[in-house]
Amino acid sequence: MAGEDDAMKGAVAPPRWAEALLERLLAAADRETVAGDLREEFVEAVVPRVGRRRAEWWYLRQVASLALRPLADHGALRNGLLALSFFTLLCGCWLAYMEFVLQHDGYASRSGMDLGVAAVGLATIMGRLLHVGARGERWLWIGALALIAIGGSAFAQDAAAGHFEGFVLIISVALVAQGTLMLLTLGRSAKSPRGARGQAS
Amino acid sequence: MAELLGTFEQAVLLAILRLGDEAYGRGILHQVQESLEREVSAGAVYTTLDRLENRGLLRSKLAAGTAVRGGRARRYYSVAASGVHALNEAHKTITTMWRGMQWPAKTTR
Repeated sequence: MAGEDDAMKGAVAPPRWAEALLERLLAAADRETVAGDLREEFVEAVVPRVGRRRAEWWYLRQVASLALRPLADHGALRNGLLALSFFTLLCGCWLAYMEFVLQHDGYASRSGMDLGVAAVGLATIMGRLLHVGARGERWLWIGALALIAIGGSAFAQDAAAGHFEGFVLIISVALVAQGTLMLLTLGRSAKSPRGARGQAS
Repeated sequence: MAELLGTFEQAVLLAILRLGDEAYGRGILHQVQESLEREVSAGAVYTTLDRLENRGLLRSKLAAGTAVRGGRARRYYSVAASGVHALNEAHKTITTMWRGMQWPAKTTR
């Protein structure tokens, strides 16, 4: 009978794609343990209690709660960085779109820079949510320095220009702030003591 | 004075103490739900476990997984001496605050 039970449990599992997504969202130190806990709970408790379909819904809710963990876990500094990244992502897309519509002299290079700003914003958000690791974060360091340079130069040009553009000022300050926050927060995740602790017994 | 534990942090630490040698993620989630009498998300529990471990109030170690987990390892938690001290401090603070008060508290006119 015990063998039959084990066979039954083996056949019941969370949706494969949801489990793969969960493992992608978790930091390396938690990947096995958290995904294992949820699978165990799914198979042994949730499916017998509420049935397969509602159990899958339960599993997706847990994945969502774990996906939002980086937002809750990294304090005001990281939340501020995410908000700024989202803002500069939207600004970059909007400026690039306007450059393409208006097509003033030199619009191609300017729209390229705008798309670059949007790409750094997107990469920062994805980097925070998907745990890109030290190698991926190295590229974000370069992005952070580029944002500070672009924002600083736009601010200086706007201040020196004959007609002052308020939106350029706001965006340039946001870029410098985003770059600075990136420099302050990047690499912090690697300092978690998890990786060094907890040897398998 | 050390930072006082929040209600959820206390629930997690007490769950680990209750579970003893069986304190790993799944059991802790169940215990916390039972003690708070509401459904709790896995994300909230694991975030709190991480925070408490980073503050040195918890220790953890990995152990081999079982077939039903697809062979994935389990992380077992135990409360460090500083965690027990923090729990006692939290209890003492609550007791002191309520001294001389009747429970349940009533509105004053």
